[in-house]
Amino acid sequence: MIRVENVWKSFDEQPVLKDISLTFERGKTNLIIGKSGSGKNVLMKCLVGLLEADRGRIVYGDLDFSAMGYRQRRVIRKELGMLFQGAALFDSMSVTDNVMFPLSMFTTMSRKEKEMRAAFCLERVNLHGADHLQPSELSGGMKKRVAIARAISISPKYLFCDEPNSGLDPPTAILIDKLISEITEEFNITTVVNTHDMNSVMEIGDKVVYIYLGELWWVGSRHEILHTGNKELNDFVYATELMRTLKK
Amino acid sequence: MLHTLILIAKLIRESALFALTSIVANKLRTVLTLLGITIGIFAIISVFSVVDSLERQIRESISALGDNVVYIKKWPWTFDTDLQWWQYANRPSPRLRELEEVQRRTGSVEAAAFLASTRRRVEYLTTSVESVSIAGVSADYDQVRNFSLHSGRYFSQTESSAGRNAIILGYDLAENLFPNTDPIGRSVKLFGHNMTVIGVFEKEGLGGFGDTHDDSAVIPIQTLAQFINVDQDRYGPFIMAKPHPGITNAELIDDLTGVMRSIRRLPPVAENNFSLNETSLLTEGFDELFAIITLAGWIIGGFSILVGGFGIANIMFVSVRERTSIIGIQKALGAKNYFILWQFLFEAVLLSLIGGIVGLLLVFGGTAIVVSVFEIDFLLSASNILLGVNVSIVIGLVAGFLPSWSASRMDPVVAIRSTA
Ligand SMILES: Nc1ncnc2c1ncn2[C@@H]1O[C@H](COP(=O)(O)OP(=O)(O)OP(=O)(O)O)[C@@H](O)[C@H]1O
Ligand SMILES: [Mg+2]
Repeated sequence: MIRVENVWKSFDEQPVLKDISLTFERGKTNLIIGKSGSGKNVLMKCLVGLLEADRGRIVYGDLDFSAMGYRQRRVIRKELGMLFQGAALFDSMSVTDNVMFPLSMFTTMSRKEKEMRAAFCLERVNLHGADHLQPSELSGGMKKRVAIARAISISPKYLFCDEPNSGLDPPTAILIDKLISEITEEFNITTVVNTHDMNSVMEIGDKVVYIYLGELWWVGSRHEILHTGNKELNDFVYATELMRTLKK
Repeated sequence: MLHTLILIAKLIRESALFALTSIVANKLRTVLTLLGITIGIFAIISVFSVVDSLERQIRESISALGDNVVYIKKWPWTFDTDLQWWQYANRPSPRLRELEEVQRRTGSVEAAAFLASTRRRVEYLTTSVESVSIAGVSADYDQVRNFSLHSGRYFSQTESSAGRNAIILGYDLAENLFPNTDPIGRSVKLFGHNMTVIGVFEKEGLGGFGDTHDDSAVIPIQTLAQFINVDQDRYGPFIMAKPHPGITNAELIDDLTGVMRSIRRLPPVAENNFSLNETSLLTEGFDELFAIITLAGWIIGGFSILVGGFGIANIMFVSVRERTSIIGIQKALGAKNYFILWQFLFEAVLLSLIGGIVGLLLVFGGTAIVVSVFEIDFLLSASNILLGVNVSIVIGLVAGFLPSWSASRMDPVVAIRSTA
């Protein structure tokens, strides 16, 4: 579980996050949604320690992450899987080497052990047989899968995904979303996904967090989101003709 | 502790992989930068190889002359006294008779020999070689001058003292006169007489002082004396004296000076009318020359290497900038600072090393060509290879340090901004 308590963050006197308090539970896929520029990425970077919150606390389990130094945080960083936007694979390394990278950094596993673990993770994302390919030989969806395999290679307790299905066609996007959701339940991971795709919300949103201009505007499940009277949230949810038609 | 070391070793290997792929991906840029290092290493190591080879050859030919042998001659090898050239010219040459006196009266001389030479035609059947250098040597020549025989033997005591018609041929001369036959026991014609070939010298190659036996022939001095007056100036007569073991050159020279002065009955006020030349002094001039050539090699090579080093530093800065987001992702996925540092440092060293090795290969190719074209013994020694490799590694480390350091210190937030 991750607890966010009264987090504030400003850039050049300009507040980007305003008093955010939240919890993300284990085994659940938590979605952070909001318009472009609302502060989703800033919140996510604060969560993983790539940015420091100006005020407030971030607590992993019962460890106060905010109070820790860089070295102490390594204990927690070992349990964080990260899925970067656009996969961000190392182009110079094979699929297997990409998946093994966090293992080399965080563990003292032998090469054999790492290879076995990588094979397991690739199998889990349905990419068996792709292990010796180079990233340039993969489709966008496959790259995303490799990135997921890399993120879960260290058996993380927490998984952060930045717009995991951006740039994918709708069926592939859904497949990736589903994969993340399945893995979350299967390995009992606390997953936080940053997205502005309503399809993702409807498919996998166990808990949906709506950020509006840096404020926590609304929290609920994907079932509740369609029936809220909140104007700003409705503007976001029913931004497309498709959703408006569906509503009728 | 061991655990940490193993991890570091693993990380370096991971870094190396990263580095290698990046070098391969930027071939052209890599090649251009490496040119400086290649030229620098080529300049330094080839100069070193030339100096080494020359030094070795000179040392070898001096030891062939006998490195502690003193040559009693009319002319000095180096003009360091304040005599005028005509004063030297008026000196008498050493005579054959003086050799016996030197042998008899000196205490420090173990062996001494007299040598005079001229040029004549040598014939075998219908083959002949013009203007062959013919040296007449006294019996103990073999104890003073180092040489080995390809076949046959040296003159016997009787052949020497009785002036028999025996001849020892230089290797190349023997090849020319006897292309298909074994010369030993055959007769060649010299001074209109038949001389029996009793030996052939081993091939000596290009000596440092052009005194190789290869194209010449040697006969007993008493034989030569039957055809020419060996004491005459024009035959360049001289005496070689080699000291007993343990006698220093200074002692030998003292002894020889005293004996020669008394043989020639010089009054105390008179200058020496002979020169005592030491082979060991010959190297001194060369030492200085080599020091200058070596310095020149370092300076020329050093400039190229400096340029190459800046090139590598530049490439590395570019490379760090290009890979900003990769560094960020690596850091986010757990890479520690030293992993990043090693990665770039290793890349810089690898670059420099590739440049250096290409330079060494060029030197190697060059030596192979020189050896085959000029037939001189010239090689790229292991210690010079090691020097080239070490210089390259050091350049890589020095040039790569700053860029690598800046990469390792990069703020992951900045690094990752473009990606996350
Ligand atoms: N390092 C930074 N320095 C200064 N301003 C920043 C920095 N990071 C983010 N911001 C600002 O904070 C605001 C929120 O940015 P953020 O990246 O969180 O948006 P987002 O919700 O992820 O948008 P999108 O959906 O387009 O990715 C933006 O106005 C952005 O300019
Ligand atoms: Mg964003």
